[in-house]
Amino acid sequence: MAKKRGCLGCSIPVILAVGIPLTTLILLSLINLFAPDVLPTWLRATSQPEVHLPAAIIFTVAGFPITNTLLTTWITILLLVGISFVVAKRMKFVPGRLQSAFEMLLGFVYNLCRDVAGEKNGRMFFPVVATIFLFVGFNAWLGLLPGYGAITVLTAHGETHLLRPANTDLNTPLAIALMSLIFVQAFGFKALGLKYIGRFVAVGRIFKSFGQIFKGKAGEGFVGLITGVIEAFLGFLELLSEFVIHTISFTFRLFGNMTAGETLIVVMLFLLPFVIPTIFYGLEILIGFIQAIIFSGLTLIFLTMAAAHGEEEHGH
Amino acid sequence: MEKWRVALRLIGIGWYVAIAILSGLLVGLWLDGLLGTRPLFIIIGLLLGIVLAFFGFYKLILPMLDTKKDRNK
Repeated sequence: MAKKRGCLGCSIPVILAVGIPLTTLILLSLINLFAPDVLPTWLRATSQPEVHLPAAIIFTVAGFPITNTLLTTWITILLLVGISFVVAKRMKFVPGRLQSAFEMLLGFVYNLCRDVAGEKNGRMFFPVVATIFLFVGFNAWLGLLPGYGAITVLTAHGETHLLRPANTDLNTPLAIALMSLIFVQAFGFKALGLKYIGRFVAVGRIFKSFGQIFKGKAGEGFVGLITGVIEAFLGFLELLSEFVIHTISFTFRLFGNMTAGETLIVVMLFLLPFVIPTIFYGLEILIGFIQAIIFSGLTLIFLTMAAAHGEEEHGH
Repeated sequence: MEKWRVALRLIGIGWYVAIAILSGLLVGLWLDGLLGTRPLFIIIGLLLGIVLAFFGFYKLILPMLDTKKDRNK
């Protein structure tokens, strides 16, 4: 590794100053993995990695448990509100550093909305999508701050971490998924009115066919009845798909990715304690961003599908 | 940019299919345990889950199928 850095135009003292500690640390990590008995105790990674799936309760307020993930949710919200407040208050025509960073981030999400949903719908969906994007992204990145997981507190159930990324608790992704579901239904209802319910409860044709049978057109009526039953079944599938499967897959995708990342870093720190976990930190930064895009982008797709459902059908 | 639309829909499919089939199976298992009718509801749940997976899959890739058709015309 050190020699490769030399190719990048660093002088020999720099190579030595960076390369020797790095190589030593990597070697130490490897020794730690394969022959921990050789090392003195203070150099060994002795604490076994512990992975708790349920969030730990820090304290209770009137019987309501406040968990460590809930705390980080509040911290994320406070931070986002604070930054937005500061940026919005000092808005300038020629943006400063913080303002241009935020403009770039929101511009990216806004362009995404406009590209997927079109100009008019994109403007309408933007607040929902941007909120989900910012919350999920900031939550993941906050969890990667150095020292974030190092603060421990003594609670009634023993020593636990004070802060833990909120999306590693199943409840937070579930809450965001439910919020996304409610917004999708609300916007679909707003765009199509009562016709929107027809997407899930498609029994109109069955009643029409019964009418035809009573009027004496038995042949047409029975064919219509069969088509009607199939349509009703498809509506039922749509209902299940929209309300159950999408929500669960939203929840578990985010939860799974965040928990896996956290666990990966914890295990890596135990196995190879120096230098090498940095690579996984970099990977986690990327994954946090990607999960934010996926969660908000899929919400956007479903919003578009719900709002454009009638038009889509006529388009064929 | 059409790219994002296609990419996001494709990203959605993977977990959707897995969750649809799995939840069908799990609901079937749960109902069987409750009613003692093993393996009736497992089969029904699996079938429903697979149908649901195909249905959602089709819904998500529908726009892509359309654009292809238009290009051929």
